[in-house]
Amino acid sequence: MLEQQLVNGLTLGLIYALIAVGYTMVYGVIELINFAHGEVYMFGAFLCMMFLTVFGAPLIVAVLLSMVCCALMGVLLDVVAYRPLRNAPRLAALITAIGMSIFLQNLAMIIWGSRPLPFVKEALPAFFKVTALSFGDVKISWMQMTIYIVAVALMILLNLIITKTRTGTAMRALAQNRVCASLMGINVNRVIAFTFALGSGLGAMAGIMVSMFYNTMYPTMGYNAGVKAFAAAVLGGIGSVPGAMFGGVVLGIAETLGAGYVSSPYRDGVAYAIMILVIILRPSGLLGRAVTEKA
Amino acid sequence: MPGKGLKFLGSVCLMGLLMAAVPALAEDVIKIAVPSPYTGSAAGFGENVKAGVTLKVEEINAAGGIDGKKVEAVYLDEQCEPREAATVSTKIANDKAIVGIVGHLCSSAHLAALPTYVREGIAAISPTATSVTITDKNKDAKGNVWSFRNVYRDDFQGKFLAQYVDKAMGLKKIAVFYENNDYGIGLKDAFVKEAKALGLTIVGEEAYMKGAQDFNPQLTKMKGGAPEALFIAGYYPEGALIVDQAKKIGLDVPKFGADGFDNADYIKLAGDAADGLYLTAPFLAETAGPDAKKFIETFKARFGRDVDWMSANAYDATAMLADAIAKVGADRAKIRDYLAGINTADKGYKGITGVNYFDKNGDCLKPAYVKMVKGNAFVPAPKQMD
Amino acid sequence: MRGVTALLGPLKYLLLAAALAYPLTPVSDVYVLHVLVLIMVYMVLAMGLNIMPGFCGLLDLGYVGFYGIGAYTAGLLTLNYDLSFWVIVPLAVVNGALWGVILGAPTLRLVGDYFAIVTFGFSELVVLFLTNEIWLTRGPLGLPGIAPVSLDLSWLSTLLHPEWNWRYDFYGETPYYYLGFLMVTVIYVVMRRVEDSRLGRAWLAIREDPMAAASSGVNLFEYKIIAFAVSSGIGALAGAFFARWTMFLSPDMFKFWESFLVLCMVVLGGLGNIRGALIGAAVLISLGEVLRVVLPGLGLPAETRFLAYGLIMVLIMRFRPGGFFTAVAESTLTSPLIMDLRRTLAARKTG
Repeated sequence: MLEQQLVNGLTLGLIYALIAVGYTMVYGVIELINFAHGEVYMFGAFLCMMFLTVFGAPLIVAVLLSMVCCALMGVLLDVVAYRPLRNAPRLAALITAIGMSIFLQNLAMIIWGSRPLPFVKEALPAFFKVTALSFGDVKISWMQMTIYIVAVALMILLNLIITKTRTGTAMRALAQNRVCASLMGINVNRVIAFTFALGSGLGAMAGIMVSMFYNTMYPTMGYNAGVKAFAAAVLGGIGSVPGAMFGGVVLGIAETLGAGYVSSPYRDGVAYAIMILVIILRPSGLLGRAVTEKA
Repeated sequence: MPGKGLKFLGSVCLMGLLMAAVPALAEDVIKIAVPSPYTGSAAGFGENVKAGVTLKVEEINAAGGIDGKKVEAVYLDEQCEPREAATVSTKIANDKAIVGIVGHLCSSAHLAALPTYVREGIAAISPTATSVTITDKNKDAKGNVWSFRNVYRDDFQGKFLAQYVDKAMGLKKIAVFYENNDYGIGLKDAFVKEAKALGLTIVGEEAYMKGAQDFNPQLTKMKGGAPEALFIAGYYPEGALIVDQAKKIGLDVPKFGADGFDNADYIKLAGDAADGLYLTAPFLAETAGPDAKKFIETFKARFGRDVDWMSANAYDATAMLADAIAKVGADRAKIRDYLAGINTADKGYKGITGVNYFDKNGDCLKPAYVKMVKGNAFVPAPKQMD
Repeated sequence: MRGVTALLGPLKYLLLAAALAYPLTPVSDVYVLHVLVLIMVYMVLAMGLNIMPGFCGLLDLGYVGFYGIGAYTAGLLTLNYDLSFWVIVPLAVVNGALWGVILGAPTLRLVGDYFAIVTFGFSELVVLFLTNEIWLTRGPLGLPGIAPVSLDLSWLSTLLHPEWNWRYDFYGETPYYYLGFLMVTVIYVVMRRVEDSRLGRAWLAIREDPMAAASSGVNLFEYKIIAFAVSSGIGALAGAFFARWTMFLSPDMFKFWESFLVLCMVVLGGLGNIRGALIGAAVLISLGEVLRVVLPGLGLPAETRFLAYGLIMVLIMRFRPGGFFTAVAESTLTSPLIMDLRRTLAARKTG
């Protein structure tokens, strides 16, 4: 049973991690909790479904198209909603993020209706149902394996982008000090837009995998996932990308174990309680760098 | 002078609010209010109620309306939120053209709106609110009931299902999964109480929140208790996922649910795992009369999906209200008296969901049938309770 | 300009008188009254929350937690012990403030957004507690049948005359309208006084520059704790009023979204401005109701209500990022020293 719970927790955790990096990267560069990120994740699932059914695209194409669309959506969100508020009080951007979140959620409800929709089963390859690994009672399907592989691969890729490319370096520079970065000739707005695109693309992928795995999608799905992923980002140390990945996995496993062994009604409480404890005991998060109060 | 634009905005808001309060002048229509969630996470259910009401209202108007007056349904969004429901309730009470209510959808919203209906004197028929608590809170000081419902109470269904599991199916070890809301808890409590009285073993009670997608931890835990059946007190969007995930981890036992599962989308969402679910329903399409058959067909042609119990109940509730208006006129108090008078099966309204009538608390007394999912379709269960 | 300002004075009192007389006029109706009372509840909440981000510069994302604590304290005390509203209010306020101190003591030292995140987690935990501790709160089944507010002076009247019974049970919206009016007025006056007091100035100093404040002898931690306790207490007060007004409570009412709604009111009105908080509450609550009527009028379905709501929020922030009012204390604006300085600065700019 413990092994099974760990497997379940890992699946959940990797998905949280994929969403969490979106929060954390945006926070890193513009110190904004982008509450509309959960909605981008939801749009990822719905757009993929739309490409599959309306345009009859093959699965891989639909997934990639959906990721691209969501990346563009992320950029659009930044350009239209957040960029004009770059020099405004910080809370103005936060309220805008909340407003966009409400807007996008209701937009999805108008486009696709409010009833939960199943994923397009026919589009999934048959081997997804086959057991990939089994030890004892524990079975891992190829679908779960795909989630693991895709999530891990995407995160490795992300790390490479952040550490090895010029744009990645620029992102890190921006996170340290925006003014200095722009003095060094970094096009701040372009790097921020790129950050939004990256995070949103990954969020879309998470949305697609969730809807595939659980065979359901609905317009309000972004809220729960968003809040959990946000907690994961905080757990790892908000602003830190490896932290968000780690936080996601820790949260996923803690939540599963909490629900399995402690008390299922308090399942979500486990996430928040851990988050609060970590913040009080180690405010910079598990992997974050220490922050000192700016004078 | 920043205050200037602001005062303008403030006055616009105030004016708008006052305008919102002024009832429409057209008096040649009879209005009924249908407060339900049309946005937010429960909007999918609100859509079902709206569909049922729409069909009935169109039917009435096509037949010339009531006393030559057209019926107009006013759809008011309350998001299934008690606070919004309380606001909406005053808006309904205030519009004197509205003579009766079909709603609310959620029990908690209904409970929050009830004080206004009782105080202002307007009768409501809820097609879907199942909470037991409504029975205690729907009367005014004189003991007059202002809120009726043509849906079973949670305790009735929970008890019924426990008896079905025991007597008709002969299953003894049950695991219970419930949604952590008024519906789920009410249903679960009644089921567990009756199951214990019948000597069944409950091998685990696990909760989940609305909108949850991952039920593996709880299911894995339940599997340890080796249950012979799974009782799911909740709605189909989550229920379908539970059934699916239970099958995936190898917990392939008969599943039981209440009316919350009675929706064709369940089969779409649960996929191959859908089979083997038993659920209570107020009527069986196969054995229903010609009216019900016609309704089922019209519904499918109009909305492109199979009918669900919420639409059917809403359709009947609207019909009862229209009936009352036709009999006693557009008078709120008289409509209430008329509805309260429908207290035996003989006086009952014969709708598509069977005979609808109310007991002295405004609760409905209807027989329950058991449906099951077999070959990816809802069919009557082979065994029915008498 | 001066003429308009001069007119505004008497106009203000006229509006006030009209507001007070409104429920007694024949045009008053139960729906508008209900919405106005709701606005008043949110006005109190907005003024209470305003202390944290507005005065002290601390972002509180879990304000609804204290609102919920106040409401449930009042609801449970009414149902189980049948206490009078007037006894319950101080108890609820103390309970709310107490939880503020309990939460604040370990967390107010946190920097930046970490404090915001802790408060957010706290409010989610409060909702989970209310949902799951069914033995105490009845969980999602809700608490129905909470008695309305009553004004019981029978002890006094029987003393004066054995047959007199001065007891008034609130019925309908009108008495709540006046009670709400009283509540808003009291909190407003208190806030205005506090803003200008030693306490308020210490808070503003913390917001502007914590280090400078500390070096000027402001005990940061102490003043932050006071701020948090006062803010939570006011939240609980609104909760207690709300419980006895709607007569029904359910954990659904205290979800995370409510915190945001109140925060939006504060920011929209102008962070740190008390009048702004009032306006913000009025605008956002009535917006939801106005859209209900306006959208169908434009031929749009009811489903678009929150689409428009979200969009309007974004647009307001886009064109008025600082909110409706600027965050400057009234006393600062009217101080002759400051006025003098502004005049000099303006002259320098033009010259």
